[in-house]
Amino acid sequence: MFKELLEKEFVILDGGMGTMLQKSGMAMGETPELLGITDKELLIDIHRQYIKAGADIVYANTFGANRYKLEHCGRSVEEIIRAAVDNARKACEGTNAHVALDIGPIGQLLEPTGYLSFEEAYDIFKEQILAGSDADVIVFETMTDLMEVKAGVLAARENSDLPVICTMTFEENKRTFTGCSVSSMALTLEGLGVDAIGINCSLGPKELLPVVRELSEWTTLPIVVKPNAGLPDPVTNQYHVTPEEFASYMEKMIPYGVKIFGGCCGTNPDYIAALRAMLAKKSYMKNTPALLPAVCSATNTVVINQPRIIGERINPTGKKLFKEALLNNDMDYILNQAIEQVNGGADILDVNVGLPGIDERAMMIKTVKELQGITDLPLQIDTTIPEVLEAALRVYNGKPIVNSVNGEEQSLNAVLPLVKKYGAAVVGLTLDENGISKSADERFAIAKKIMERALEYGIPKRDIFIDCLTLTASAEQECVMETLRALKRVKEELGLRTVLGVSNISFGLPNRELINHNFLTMALTYGLDLPIINPNVSSMTGAVRSYKLLTAIDMDSMEYIAAYNAAKQPAQSGKKESSQNGDKQISLAFAVEAGLKSEAGKITEELLKTENAMDIINTMLIPALDKTGDEFEKGKIFLPQLILSAQAAQAAFDTIKKSMKSTQESSVSKGSIVIATVKGDIHDIGKNIVKVLLENYGYHVVDLGKDVEFQAVVDAVKQYDAKLVGLSALMTTTLVSMDRTIQLIRENHLDCKIMVGGAVLTPEYAAQIGADFYVKDAKESIDVAKRILGA
Amino acid sequence: MDEQIVISGLNRSEALRYMGQADLSCDERLEKLMDGCEAELLLAIRPRYLYQCFDFTREEDGIHLDGTSLTLPGDDIRNHLAGCEKAVLMCVTLSSDVDRIIRVAQLSDMLSALALDCLASTAVEQLCDKVELKIKQDFPAYEMTWRYGVGYGDLPISLQREFLMVLNAGKKIGLNATGSNILTPRKSVTAVIGLSRQKLPPAKRGCAVCNLKGTCAYRQKGIHCNV
Repeated sequence: MFKELLEKEFVILDGGMGTMLQKSGMAMGETPELLGITDKELLIDIHRQYIKAGADIVYANTFGANRYKLEHCGRSVEEIIRAAVDNARKACEGTNAHVALDIGPIGQLLEPTGYLSFEEAYDIFKEQILAGSDADVIVFETMTDLMEVKAGVLAARENSDLPVICTMTFEENKRTFTGCSVSSMALTLEGLGVDAIGINCSLGPKELLPVVRELSEWTTLPIVVKPNAGLPDPVTNQYHVTPEEFASYMEKMIPYGVKIFGGCCGTNPDYIAALRAMLAKKSYMKNTPALLPAVCSATNTVVINQPRIIGERINPTGKKLFKEALLNNDMDYILNQAIEQVNGGADILDVNVGLPGIDERAMMIKTVKELQGITDLPLQIDTTIPEVLEAALRVYNGKPIVNSVNGEEQSLNAVLPLVKKYGAAVVGLTLDENGISKSADERFAIAKKIMERALEYGIPKRDIFIDCLTLTASAEQECVMETLRALKRVKEELGLRTVLGVSNISFGLPNRELINHNFLTMALTYGLDLPIINPNVSSMTGAVRSYKLLTAIDMDSMEYIAAYNAAKQPAQSGKKESSQNGDKQISLAFAVEAGLKSEAGKITEELLKTENAMDIINTMLIPALDKTGDEFEKGKIFLPQLILSAQAAQAAFDTIKKSMKSTQESSVSKGSIVIATVKGDIHDIGKNIVKVLLENYGYHVVDLGKDVEFQAVVDAVKQYDAKLVGLSALMTTTLVSMDRTIQLIRENHLDCKIMVGGAVLTPEYAAQIGADFYVKDAKESIDVAKRILGA
Repeated sequence: MDEQIVISGLNRSEALRYMGQADLSCDERLEKLMDGCEAELLLAIRPRYLYQCFDFTREEDGIHLDGTSLTLPGDDIRNHLAGCEKAVLMCVTLSSDVDRIIRVAQLSDMLSALALDCLASTAVEQLCDKVELKIKQDFPAYEMTWRYGVGYGDLPISLQREFLMVLNAGKKIGLNATGSNILTPRKSVTAVIGLSRQKLPPAKRGCAVCNLKGTCAYRQKGIHCNV
């Protein structure tokens, strides 16, 4: 039916529902969805008024009908949605109007800002979609979080055959509250195969025009606009745009390909009637922009219209510390690899967490989720296992790159359907059942085959990136130019974007950086779009930057000058403290006490040449830390100085750890401590300070993060044989969770002590819930750890 | 809501106090770090706010806000609104980008993270102060009480979600609460202000009526938090 509707010149939606309900006397804060059961006639009447005014589709009164918002209302999601759809259906009887299942935001923010998981969000939407199976179309509206919409769209696609319309809510800066951009919305949702996209609520039609104009540049789908009746008066909350004004502003949107028109807050049937009158005299103007090759996160779109750097560092291959981080679930290490590359100049980050012995799927999901919380660079999902790939594609917030498919049948059949379903871009490796061919022509032929197969699946050319494969110059010198020749042909004859891992070229040769650098420059000249490099090597990012300058891509050398002219002023100046002490010899103890991070690292490096690691820890680091701890306790120094000192000690520790990796010495750990912010609580900065301090004393800290399930604490204590658990809570309401966690630990008869801390906790309450220790600050947690695990 | 509020500088000594720098001293190095954090934060902050004024009815189970489903239970809010004819519900947020930069800082530099966190707490208070000024302008004939936070005293924090629904805060400024009633984005505030045509008695604030009076770290050091 939706296809038939789209054959009409324009499709008209209804206007505000809340506005109508409030006019009828509904109190603010009430659950409007209940009225569909308690006052059916009211709802049927409102729908009828809209149909009479000209609406082709009426939205059932189901905007907030999800299990979270209906929690305390006494009715189930199914009851309310079925009744609401039924009311709308009754109103449509004898007309050509259709019923939409209306789905608004859940009302709780998703990770990482909130703590609702993608999987829970999916489940909440699934329940709504199943209950609304009698509707004609599914609408997601007033959305501000792209991740939430994606959960909804996937739930719709996988549990229903109904067409899907998505509209999000933008502010005047063309971003949603969570920062989602218009281009990210379009790239992601068009990729997921929705039937129409657009904008609703927040602003009036006048203010939304620039947002609609931008959207029209990023999509070929029918565009939907459902604005408010202007901006509300701050004091009275009334809307001031009249129906006629509303219609005349909406008229200006027709040239931008708007096909579906309606109204949101403050609009009523008069606005819809005015819309109908205006549209009756107009014709639809289909929007046909030339779509750009681009990938995105929710907040950052990277257009591949010039060389873009893909950072290669999130990958354990050949990296001991990275492998160890994966084995230990040390997410901070992995995230720091990301931050370094962001600062180095990467545009996109490759993510590979494959390692024998770990659950790669679980690790990939966790890594993708955590990375999205700390960087806005788009990600390239790098795995050979289809299950891992699909898991990552589900939770990715935006349009990613899949790395990779190749010319083998098995690969094409497994990977391309996933690329299509999730609307990703894909890297095609020019190898097949016969391995890597030496000749450029054969690699070109495989590229062509991959392209043709991708096109068959409906993956557009702009989303296919070909990797002509770098072979090692030392082993196959004659193949270097073949790679570049293949690359050039792919680019010119197939019109596809190209990608290349660069570093492999120099394997086995001295001065690898020089070879890498030159090969990169050559490849760029042959038309490479996406070099996969280590962006922390300045000559490599420099090669890309200077190439862009010399080819007039970087107009007026703006980017180049920004990168090299001014000495960058990092905001986190603690990281780059000035070496105030010059060449003066200082001791490790002094560096730690004074909180001199880089000095502490350097001195330790020197010391390791002559001293044993454990001696450095026991005779220098720990006494220095003890001294600052003592001064903190006496009020001579405060928390900031304590943290500075801890960070200096951490730099020393990191240096020691690195040296141990190379000399294969035994671990420095004095035993494991599990720490967590309890379930329901997301205040974790205090816990994280405790973590830094404990690690400095050589304890292995298993940080479970925030909002931690009771059972997860028990599991971790068992897994790591921890003798001490630290629990943190910052709200009176989450102290209950602390109590429950302790109970569960006790019920499991685990041989471990429990220390608790947090602003609202008292020593009395700590004793009452059965904690062994109440720690009033980070320093006291050290004292407890020493008692339990030894100094 | 429409008129933008701009926050152009943050209260440094307040932030230092939140950070545990009890004597509020700030050497050159800390000063530089605070400068960097403040600059970064000011770029990330997008102040948003909402408020609405209600008549209310004193009922047995609490203060009922007319035209809404919301009743504020407890003695404390009743006392807070004693002598008042109207109540203003307000909420503010600094945006989710602030949460993100604090999260990122925690990975590599805890001190910057702590500084950002405490500066953001200061910023949200400053934002509240500015919103209060606006309310004052809207109701020139009234005296205002101080802003009473949801979850403070015996006003249960479980009201958070209904409070936000009344103001339609999710839709209008992107402010939500988690299942355990923590506001997200994190640096946000919800509060009730009473309006009275009469002169109000001096405010009962301070340590004596505070939930934390037993454990407060400031009190243990013989200072207080200036609330």
